[in-house]
Amino acid sequence: MATASHRQSVISRALDYLRDLARRREFALALGTGNLKARNANTGLGILWWVLNPLLLGAVYYLVFGVIFPGRRPDNFLVYLLSGMFVFHFTSQSMTGGANSIISNAKLLANLRFPRLILPISALIEAASGFLVSLGLLVSIAVITGQASITHRILYLPVVIGVHLLFNLGLGAMTARLAVPFRDINNLIPYINRIWLYLSPIIWPLSFLDDAEPWVRTAIRLNPMYDFIGLYRSALLGSPIIADHVIGAVAAALVVGFLGIGLFVKYEGHMVRYL
Amino acid sequence: MVDRVSVRYRPYVDRKPTLRRSLASLRSRATTEVVALDDVSFRVEKGEAFGIVGRNGAGKSTLLRVMARTLRPNEGRVVVNGRASTLLQLGVGFNPELSGRRNVYLGGLASGLRRAEIDQVFDDVVEFAGLGEAIDRPVKTYSSGMFSRLAFSVSMHLDPDIILLDEVLAVGDAEFRKKGIQTMRQLLERSGTIVFVSHALPQVVDFCSRAMWLDAGRVRLIGPSADVVEAYQGSLR
Repeated sequence: MATASHRQSVISRALDYLRDLARRREFALALGTGNLKARNANTGLGILWWVLNPLLLGAVYYLVFGVIFPGRRPDNFLVYLLSGMFVFHFTSQSMTGGANSIISNAKLLANLRFPRLILPISALIEAASGFLVSLGLLVSIAVITGQASITHRILYLPVVIGVHLLFNLGLGAMTARLAVPFRDINNLIPYINRIWLYLSPIIWPLSFLDDAEPWVRTAIRLNPMYDFIGLYRSALLGSPIIADHVIGAVAAALVVGFLGIGLFVKYEGHMVRYL
Repeated sequence: MVDRVSVRYRPYVDRKPTLRRSLASLRSRATTEVVALDDVSFRVEKGEAFGIVGRNGAGKSTLLRVMARTLRPNEGRVVVNGRASTLLQLGVGFNPELSGRRNVYLGGLASGLRRAEIDQVFDDVVEFAGLGEAIDRPVKTYSSGMFSRLAFSVSMHLDPDIILLDEVLAVGDAEFRKKGIQTMRQLLERSGTIVFVSHALPQVVDFCSRAMWLDAGRVRLIGPSADVVEAYQGSLR
């Protein structure tokens, strides 16, 4: 009886929080687009840098692994590499953006009352805008180079993006939560990202898994980016959809999403103390 | 509508825990706690201007943050009836890279207004701030006076029931200060409530009906503003 009423209050509090968030959606949007604009106000190419960064990084890896050490690469290595790079970049941006979102808005937090999840959400909006542009670029490159053809599977794209958004929000909320008391996190994130990049199927072809050590294969299979990148490649590049990817991505999004948001919301009343 | 009851709270503002300190505190649980506010209770009535005076570090800003409910007290609670606009710092939510126009919207949205509501008051905000064409220039190109005027103007158009002011009238030129005080008097006439932290003691006496003297996190005296300011000034000599 007591547990039931407790659960009830958790649910109703969660609903209140969601209502509060929905009421402030214009603020989240204005903050996200404002930051996007401000960040690029002083560079000549502006918002294009969001796309250029993963593109140039992809070009570097293409030069190293596609040209200098060609080895065993898939025929469509360019779009294979770029698709992985863009998807990965979105997640890693959500992570760094989330970690910075609280600290760089310390003044807002100290002075105004609003659901704090607005801040990681606005960081996510900022990252997602760039990601959508880069997906457009990817499709154009795929069509122009003839390395992939657009199939009916592109209709799954909104669903894939939706699941990915939940995953990224959870991750961003988690890093935001941790970065408030432990600023040290910001120094660690680039290294975590680097290892994560190498454990994701971006610069190495899927055939690499066939002769990898069993523990390496397990580690990669447990990496949610393996599933997300696989799903994006199905939707955009026409490869068949693999059930394991669907299960892996949805499970990761649900666990990371709700865990991250839950940890964040539980902590948000204490944040101001540490800023 | 506005009947504010602030009850007791006792927040401790502790040090930022870095990883090292957290590890250290695992060994010894004894961490030094700073008591910013110690068992403070008072009540501000609707339509009243209430002053808070005290030395630096007495806990005045912490108290306003607790009242703005951005800082959760360790003990006690705060009850606020009405829409509170906090003016703890000017230009909260502003992004200096963006134009004044965008910042009016950002600041308004940050304070809880809807876009449509800001549309309605936008022209008045610019007029009040006296910015004219400059509203479309990036805020980082503004002089500090222009910045303060815009930020203050945004806050004055939020149509709040309660305003929490922290030393913000110290900025801007004399004419603007006069305009600000005028606006606050108008708010009081509409039976709004103002809580006012200031070191400008004559202003507190002039403006507030009652005041509180805060000393090292504790209430020393609450009463008519003239008496409280006199007692506080006496302690400074």
